Amino acid sequence: MNPFETFIQQLINGLTIGMIYALIALGYTMVYGIIQLINFAHGEIFITGAFFALAVFGLFPHTPQFNSVLALVLAFGAAMAGCGFLGVVIERIAYRPLRKAPRLACLITAIGVSFILQNVLMLIWGPVDKSFPAFFKHSALTFGSLRVTFMQGFIIITSLVMMIALRFFVTRTMLGKALRAASADMTAARLMGINVDKVISICFLIGSALGGAGGVMYGMYYNTISFHDGYLVGIKAFTAAVLGGIGNVPGAMLGGIALGMLEGLGAGYLSSAWKNVFAFLILVILLLCWPSGILRKSRNE
Amino acid sequence: MKQKLLILTCCVLGVLSLGAKKQGVIKIGCVGPITGDQASLGLDQLHALQIAVDEANAQGEIIPGHRLEIVSLDDQHNPSQAVAMAKRLASDPQVVAVVGHVNSSCSLAAAPIYQNARLTQISPSSSNPEISRKGYDTFFRTCATDDIQAPQAAYFAFTRLEARKVFIIDDKTTYGKGIADEFEQEILRLGAGVLGHEGIMQADKDFSPLLTKIKALEPDLIFFGGMYPEGALLVRQAKALGFNVKWMGGDGIYVKAFIDLAKEDAEGVYCTFIGADVSSMAGAKHYIETYTTRFGQERGPYSAYAYDAANIIIDATRKTGKLDRQAILAQVKATKDFPGIVGVTNFDAKGDSTIGLIGVFRVKNQAFEYVGSAK
Repeated sequence: MNPFETFIQQLINGLTIGMIYALIALGYTMVYGIIQLINFAHGEIFITGAFFALAVFGLFPHTPQFNSVLALVLAFGAAMAGCGFLGVVIERIAYRPLRKAPRLACLITAIGVSFILQNVLMLIWGPVDKSFPAFFKHSALTFGSLRVTFMQGFIIITSLVMMIALRFFVTRTMLGKALRAASADMTAARLMGINVDKVISICFLIGSALGGAGGVMYGMYYNTISFHDGYLVGIKAFTAAVLGGIGNVPGAMLGGIALGMLEGLGAGYLSSAWKNVFAFLILVILLLCWPSGILRKSRNE
Repeated sequence: MKQKLLILTCCVLGVLSLGAKKQGVIKIGCVGPITGDQASLGLDQLHALQIAVDEANAQGEIIPGHRLEIVSLDDQHNPSQAVAMAKRLASDPQVVAVVGHVNSSCSLAAAPIYQNARLTQISPSSSNPEISRKGYDTFFRTCATDDIQAPQAAYFAFTRLEARKVFIIDDKTTYGKGIADEFEQEILRLGAGVLGHEGIMQADKDFSPLLTKIKALEPDLIFFGGMYPEGALLVRQAKALGFNVKWMGGDGIYVKAFIDLAKEDAEGVYCTFIGADVSSMAGAKHYIETYTTRFGQERGPYSAYAYDAANIIIDATRKTGKLDRQAILAQVKATKDFPGIVGVTNFDAKGDSTIGLIGVFRVKNQAFEYVGSAK
């Protein structure tokens, strides 16, 4: 394996986890874009998605041929529907009553919700790491000594499809237009007859569903999940959202991919012991140079 | 009125006599990670203690009027949590001794507190040599230490696995870095080349950047100083990168959960353990059966060591005959040829067990197979 191939391999590894970061970052950025709240519970929603999928896999007999497409589709369906519902419920009972309260109150509520979710996960699924079923064995496409495992390909393609679908929804549909309107000016949107509460609910629904899908892919990629995994991955995804310019949907996608790749390169070429330090160091440096992120939030008149 | 007074008197007398009959308790502390990613190790220690205590209570009162009880606390394999739990045990006058902690970093952090409280601490698994070198006279352990384990692991890797180009990974903890450093020193001394030595973070999940880098260096063996959650991810992710290399680890991956998490990728992984194959020891047969029937699962690696630690404490308490920390400490210190299930235990001046046997295991057909002693 020559140094160039090693470099490309590192980028592929980074791209895979970056895609998962990006999916989760979308949830942070959409919610922030509309109600200026950093939804710290989003990290927990993400890992809850992985647990929902695990519950679905538990319904299938554990055979070596676990590559059942049906199980996979059902798992994604359950995780996305379950997390979407969870997100809407959390918004309804924890954030909506505080709509007029100072922003700090909402932030602290979000942290509280995050703790509650984490402990509920521990109560239901137990404190021990859970083994997640493995898909595709380690089959891979090889190009010389480069390897892209089917799992990596699956994650990259599925995430891309979801992001394109989201982009289409936001830019091409009436609801998407309403969402952008509410994000630009909530009062004006309300005056134009847009049901802002409904728009916010939909925003939580979509963001949480994407986070849930990210959770399933995270579980499939690493094959172990634990109730406290949501915390660190959530913080990283939040970093990605800030990196791309919080409130900006394409920015979150770019930020996630950039963070994944930079983290991978830092760990691969400098020191793996300081991997998290790199992630946050990158954030600090970028914010010093571009305080509003790579893509600043565009406000089209 | 008189009748009422009579009833009242009877009640008072009844309550008093109940109170007088109530047994006193002697408590043994049990501290380890019982939640979180290493929960299986802490629970295993607790199970062993439960068996030992129930057996002792079934034989009658350990000290006249007293029966044994366990105080189980969770240190979450976090040294600062370990200190908090140690303080809680130290402040309870009924606690006479402690089995634990599981992790070296926790034992190291908690040891000064036990020392001040004159509380005997016997760890079944904290194998870092530094702990006993600090001179705490309350610290004992039933397992062997990493300064025996790691050099023997290196010897095995060099002579039997013929490792000449080695890469070393550790998890930057007291245990992981300790064992990895000792391994590196010894394998260099034996004449092998060390291509690199890198740390990883506990609770990280993605090691593919590091493994991609190591793959390009083409080592013939990777030694991992750390615990099973990271160990399992390492071997899985290496396979996913198409990187076939021999893996070796310390006792931190000699846990059934390692195989459960790494599945078929665990096959062929070598690990050393700070003891021999307990299941082949005649004296342990009854214990293993009791454990399996009572808890419906297989015992973990240190469970037999925790069981012996508990019995040393129970034996010392019985000989002392009173609830007195200092006297029990003196009695444990004077332990001579204690017939445990892992062998005949004696403590040296530092509190380390003199058994010092290191076994090597290899994963075969989803189970640990005993290869032999490391030397």
